[in-house]
Amino acid sequence: MAYILQRVAFSALSLFVLVFITFLLSHVVPGDPAIAAAGPNAGAEKIAALRTEMGLDEPFVTQFLIYCGNILQGDLGTSWFTHQPILDDLLRELPPSLELVVIAMVINLAISLPVGLLTARYNGTTFDDIVRLFAMAGAGLPIFWTAILLQQSFAADWQLFPVAGRIGFEYRAFEGITGFYLLDSILRGRPDVFFDVLSHLILPAFALSLLFTAVGVRITRTSMIGEFRKDYVTLARAKGAGEGRIMFRHVFPNGATPSLTVFGMQFGWMLGATVLVEEIFGRPGIGRYAVKAVTQSDIHGVVAVVFVVGLVFLLANLAVDMTLYALSPRKRAEG
Amino acid sequence: MKTVTAARILGVSVSMLALVGAMPVQAAPSGVLVIAENETPENLDPANAVNSTVNQLLVGVYNTLVQFPAGKTAVEPQLATDWDISEDGKTYTFTLRDDVTFHDGSPLTAADVVFTLDRLQAASAAVMNDMGPYAGADAVDDTTVKLTLDAPFGPFISALSRIYIVSKAMVEPHMGDDNARGWLAVNDAGSGPYQVNSYAPTEAVSLTAYDNYWGGWDGDHVAEVLFRYVSEPSTQMALLRSGEVHIAPDITVEDKQSLMDTEGFAVDIGAAATPLFFQFNTASEGPTGDPAFRKMLAQTFDRQLHLDIVLAGFGTLPDGPLPPDWMGHVSGTELPFDLDAARAMVEENGWDGTELTVRYLPGIQEETSAVEQLQSNLSQLGITLNAEGMTWPAQAATVTDVATTSDINMIYNFPTFPDPHAILNTTFNSANSGANGGYNWAQYSNPEVDALLNEAASESDPAKRAELYGQVQELIGQDHVVITVSLPGSVVAMSDKVKGYIYNAAHHQTFNYWNISVN
Repeated sequence: MAYILQRVAFSALSLFVLVFITFLLSHVVPGDPAIAAAGPNAGAEKIAALRTEMGLDEPFVTQFLIYCGNILQGDLGTSWFTHQPILDDLLRELPPSLELVVIAMVINLAISLPVGLLTARYNGTTFDDIVRLFAMAGAGLPIFWTAILLQQSFAADWQLFPVAGRIGFEYRAFEGITGFYLLDSILRGRPDVFFDVLSHLILPAFALSLLFTAVGVRITRTSMIGEFRKDYVTLARAKGAGEGRIMFRHVFPNGATPSLTVFGMQFGWMLGATVLVEEIFGRPGIGRYAVKAVTQSDIHGVVAVVFVVGLVFLLANLAVDMTLYALSPRKRAEG
Repeated sequence: MKTVTAARILGVSVSMLALVGAMPVQAAPSGVLVIAENETPENLDPANAVNSTVNQLLVGVYNTLVQFPAGKTAVEPQLATDWDISEDGKTYTFTLRDDVTFHDGSPLTAADVVFTLDRLQAASAAVMNDMGPYAGADAVDDTTVKLTLDAPFGPFISALSRIYIVSKAMVEPHMGDDNARGWLAVNDAGSGPYQVNSYAPTEAVSLTAYDNYWGGWDGDHVAEVLFRYVSEPSTQMALLRSGEVHIAPDITVEDKQSLMDTEGFAVDIGAAATPLFFQFNTASEGPTGDPAFRKMLAQTFDRQLHLDIVLAGFGTLPDGPLPPDWMGHVSGTELPFDLDAARAMVEENGWDGTELTVRYLPGIQEETSAVEQLQSNLSQLGITLNAEGMTWPAQAATVTDVATTSDINMIYNFPTFPDPHAILNTTFNSANSGANGGYNWAQYSNPEVDALLNEAASESDPAKRAELYGQVQELIGQDHVVITVSLPGSVVAMSDKVKGYIYNAAHHQTFNYWNISVN
């Protein structure tokens, strides 16, 4: 229990530091939100008046404290460019991005774990060499480049998948409930919509996951190799246990632990990287929202996006920690 | 959006109308027009209509008192049937149509016009920046509205082409403490031919035909207009090829060229009036503060080469800051490209070895190419040009102080209406210097120019104004304030199913979707 509390407290502190740094950076980065808000040919007077109205005249520390006070009350402020509560904006933009990340993560795990395990088992064989070569190449591929390549071949040329968007033209009037269209289509009993939404997710999710999968395979392979060399494996073999049993019953649960920590972090990194595929596949989401906020010098919008992405990152890590805690008798004993 | 259910019911009724429309007898709007756009809109608020991404949605959702039809440089009546300007040029009296209804069915009256302007003023709206000495509005009766100015203002009638009239009855209950900015950001209160059906600003915006539009629906029109936000040029191109979008304005120049000769596509080249400038820091302590040095610089850029290669010929060769076909344009005020003359000046004055900095937006291909050409030409003269690519907010922040303004800045001018005031006053009046938050990033201050610009603004006689703007162009030419790099054309690629698109210089980067049909 103390362990859990400690993790939660540490996460909260990390979030505070993150918000502070982002807030600081937003103020240091050149750009005057009042000029952006005033529009062309505004004149010095109007800009000055807007600066006061937007609270930009206050000293930095005062602005930060006011902001923190608002956040604690669950108020992320009103955007200077959408004129909507930022929380509402993010609740609209987050589901499509999370949906993308979840699918990308499923692809990532479905490839990384089995391939990592098998390459560890057949360590040093030609199979291992080929996979390592691909993993090395994959880790070096920029996401936006992979995305364009996949889109132009699989979608534009071969027409196996939609080119862009989140949902097909014929379903554009589909009304969500939660904003997660995969879930919503099931809730509304619309399998046609479900498969349409899924087909729109495959290429972007694959493009997003590729780089992370390459890392995932390598991490999993390394930790599994370590496990295969341990005494209990030799003992199990000596006792005549089958290779399948050794791999899946013994090595996999033990060796997956270090990879799990990495996958937890990858979830957060992916959310931060969605902008690359969102722009190319013309998908809505938090990445595109963030880009707009940055170009409009919307400090509160930018900080809120970083806050939310940071929150998801920490929650994913917390979830991993909890899982490991639940799985590991040693940690439970220490706890 | 608010009434999603109502909108869906409307969608159904529209598609039923579409079926009826298939018979040749009746001409109800039918079909869907899909337009790709690379930038996502900020909001739907008419207060923000100076922004083209916002304006392209609103231009058919709202009406204005007067409007520039595509291809025209003079306004024509829209909501106003006629108007009268007082002797002293300070009072404009408009007579309104009496058959206009807003999208909620309520009639439009003078009270709505007054409410619109009062709200925009209270909200410090960006569209009010171009309204000059506007003072206030009064409703004389239901169909007569009087607008007053503190001083005569020549471009006033033109500036009204961005003042979209909102329904008082719809907006007033939502005024709150933000002058209804939050409500109008996601709702429509207009009287135009189309109404907002759904608004998902990072994904798509759907507009549907308003059945009771006062202008009627004679001829061929679409039932729905869908704007899809697709930032990647190659994605727009793929969508255009697959038929998923009908209009793709943001594909690469190379793709536009190739589509010109491709069956099934059309490429429209509109004569845009959005000059791109190299602005020299005239207030600098450094070399660009010296008019002689600027005279040398002014001769180092080959506009024709830029037009031929970078713009692939899509554009107009600039001749001074104003588009050549505009009122008051004077030819030959800027020095032509002459690298030998520049070299002679460099040798004579020992400017060899000078280092300069130019700031620009590297995300814009045209700016990057222009900077590279200038760099290459200047290096032939022994002058080093350091190129600093920036984001727009960062670049705008550097010019708020003369000391941090670089020697040269690249910037486009997007006039909100086709009047010399919109380009010359914005770029050369010292009241609009970068230090004052404006787009005169040359920090140019010439009292004679300021006086002429102010006189021209308060003059209502077009001939007199033209003459004054002519003098302005001569003076800024003599001071070598800018190089007008280009007047890029507005090149829009589309499916050949699209009929009726016409470029409108008064509403750059918008589409006259209410007059477009899709076969």
